[in-house]
Amino acid sequence: MAIAATPEIGSQELEDLKQRYSDKGFIVTNVNNLINWARTGSLHWMTFGLACCAVEMMHVGTPRYDVERMGAAPRASPRHADVMIIAGTLTNKMAPALRKAYDQMAEPRYVISMGSCANGGGYYHYSYSVVRGSDRIVPIDIYVPGCPPTAEALMYGILQLQKKIRREGNIVR
Amino acid sequence: MSSPIDLVVQTISEKINPIDVKVINNQIEIIIESRQIITTFQFLKDSSKCQFRQLTDIAGVDYPDRENRFEVVYHLLSFKNNLRARVKVYIDEGSSIDSLTSVFPCANWFEREAFDMYGIQFNDHPDLRRILTDYGFEGYPLRKDFPLSGNVEVRYNEIEKKIVYEPVKLQQDYRHFDIQSPWEGTKYKEEEQDRNGGK
Amino acid sequence: MAESKTVTVNFGPVHPAAHGVLRLILDLDGEVVERADPHIGLLHRGTEKLIETKTYLQAIPYFDRLDYVAPMNQEHAFALAIEKLMKVDVPKRGQYIRVLFSEIGRLLSHLLNVTTTAMDVGAMTPITWGFDEREKLLDFYEEVSGSRFHANYFRAGGVHQDLPEGLLEKINDFCISFPKVVDDMETLLTENRIFKQRNVDIGKISKEEAVDNGFSGFVLRASGVPWDLRRSQPYDSYEDFDFKVPIGKNGDCYDRYLCQMDEMRESVKIMTQCINNMPSGEVINRDTKIAPPKRAEMKESMEAIIHHFKFFTEGFHVPEGEIYSAVEAPKGEFGVYLISDNTSRPYRCKIRAPGFAHLQAFNLLSKGHLLADVPAILGSLAIVFGEVDR
Repeated sequence: MAIAATPEIGSQELEDLKQRYSDKGFIVTNVNNLINWARTGSLHWMTFGLACCAVEMMHVGTPRYDVERMGAAPRASPRHADVMIIAGTLTNKMAPALRKAYDQMAEPRYVISMGSCANGGGYYHYSYSVVRGSDRIVPIDIYVPGCPPTAEALMYGILQLQKKIRREGNIVR
Repeated sequence: MSSPIDLVVQTISEKINPIDVKVINNQIEIIIESRQIITTFQFLKDSSKCQFRQLTDIAGVDYPDRENRFEVVYHLLSFKNNLRARVKVYIDEGSSIDSLTSVFPCANWFEREAFDMYGIQFNDHPDLRRILTDYGFEGYPLRKDFPLSGNVEVRYNEIEKKIVYEPVKLQQDYRHFDIQSPWEGTKYKEEEQDRNGGK
Repeated sequence: MAESKTVTVNFGPVHPAAHGVLRLILDLDGEVVERADPHIGLLHRGTEKLIETKTYLQAIPYFDRLDYVAPMNQEHAFALAIEKLMKVDVPKRGQYIRVLFSEIGRLLSHLLNVTTTAMDVGAMTPITWGFDEREKLLDFYEEVSGSRFHANYFRAGGVHQDLPEGLLEKINDFCISFPKVVDDMETLLTENRIFKQRNVDIGKISKEEAVDNGFSGFVLRASGVPWDLRRSQPYDSYEDFDFKVPIGKNGDCYDRYLCQMDEMRESVKIMTQCINNMPSGEVINRDTKIAPPKRAEMKESMEAIIHHFKFFTEGFHVPEGEIYSAVEAPKGEFGVYLISDNTSRPYRCKIRAPGFAHLQAFNLLSKGHLLADVPAILGSLAIVFGEVDR
């Protein structure tokens, strides 16, 4: 199948095309929308459970909250995952391991920082062994506040990330 | 008929020649010299009257002003007598103390922790490495002269593509309030209190 | 010529079966573990140092964050230590509420641990059932303290606030329905062939070794030592309650699992007794200056306002002395060794975590077992890194 010319988005030509194909059981959309739809619909998160927040992260996957209905499922390996949820206090000793796991993730990758310890050190901010914010180690997309954030808050964070992906709308990050 | 706790205290004071034995809050406190540590613990564990079979914990304590700066506190538990005992040893910064791993196997990690946190050296310890702090950590964090926020912090360096250690730079210092606030402890206030009859 | 050669494998620190941030260096001969060297401290947050810089009141939340699957049990040890040093009594209602919530904590911990361990050895369903019950328990936490996990509810001298209206009925309803869930979980696991194959005779430890290695809690009891601090050294009216202490026989992973299941049933019994005999009255000791004044009092009395201000800025002073106080936390003996120097901040607070001693014996437990048994052993010990690393 060959397409002669690319119609402008929102042009009459495209609308005609959509009309013509939808009758035959096809959907016409642009690639950006398609890819972003796929991305938001299957945000596989990597379980980077460090501390207390990890328990809330487990709760978000279990029946009461069941985040899988938002298309987000836990994945144990960083190579499978699209988003990393840093759940808990990041310590100096753990920082290299976190970065290594992040580097193993395939692009496009997103990071959710969960809880005040990961956001900025929180209750352990002044400790000698705690990283004062995991954004010193990896770039963060969404910060979820709370100590620990409730499972609902984390779910809202995941929805916010989906919104962000849709808003940015670019294929290459 | 004397209670089991008195009996144990009596046995201890007769047999092991401690510096001091007393009972506080239903817990026995024994202070011994560092050279008699192995024999003491062997006795406390094996003697039929004491039977302190379990070493629950080892804690280091730092008193920078004292001559013997560190205190190593061993917590023992006797299942038979339902008793707890606390054995204290005083040592100074340079000296070391015999490891208890031959008597109580679980002393291994507890001693590693005391070494990690206070720098207390244990002789004949099978594996005296740092346990809790970061790989390559410098200093002994629980000493009173160690700063709360430590000396180094980590950051990912985009150019070098690795985690780097840098001196600590805090955006805002830890706010350690002076509790004896002046408006409360001034003479004027105290005088007023005296006038009102201490109220 | 084929020669026996060990392979060193690095397990963790980001491994879902490690129940946190454990890094294990395993020397393997084929699939058999020759030596296991746990590297801990990947969650070392400097709690003990931070506690030295905070007032007693500000230090309580650090205890929530130690064993974060049963937060109130750790607060309990700290509150008891302060009370003993200050020689303060707790009103009977306060004691009963603390017992009630300690047992809820025990359920929280065992539910999480049993179900996740089951998942590690291949059973998916228990986690969905167990976590649903956890949600209900967390609702109770939320009702009394406003927070799902980090409650900061047990204070020196009692508990922070009285129970909200209707909560006891809700907990009672839960106590009626919960044993059924335990039974259901048991039908899935206890006689399950796969589960038994993965757990029976794995990670065995004898009575003597368990005592020598500093074990406590259900891990010690599974080896056949009848030792429960709630029974032997009762604190907070535990002597009023009628409950059994489940004892194991073989000291393997399977017995540890059975002990946890039975403990859950006993906890429900204690909770029911607590609800039926709940005394009325104050929940915190208000005679000594250990509790903040009531809001109504502050509207009228200048003294109360001053006390309130002093209480939350300076905090209360604890007389000089030292104490070791321990509670039977879900995972074992959780102790606090507190040294006070007559200021409002602790001079030293050593935390004795049960998991630390259990993990120490990991080499002993896993030697000679297959690599696949490592997660089963780890899970059966109920390791939580918040308390191990502190």
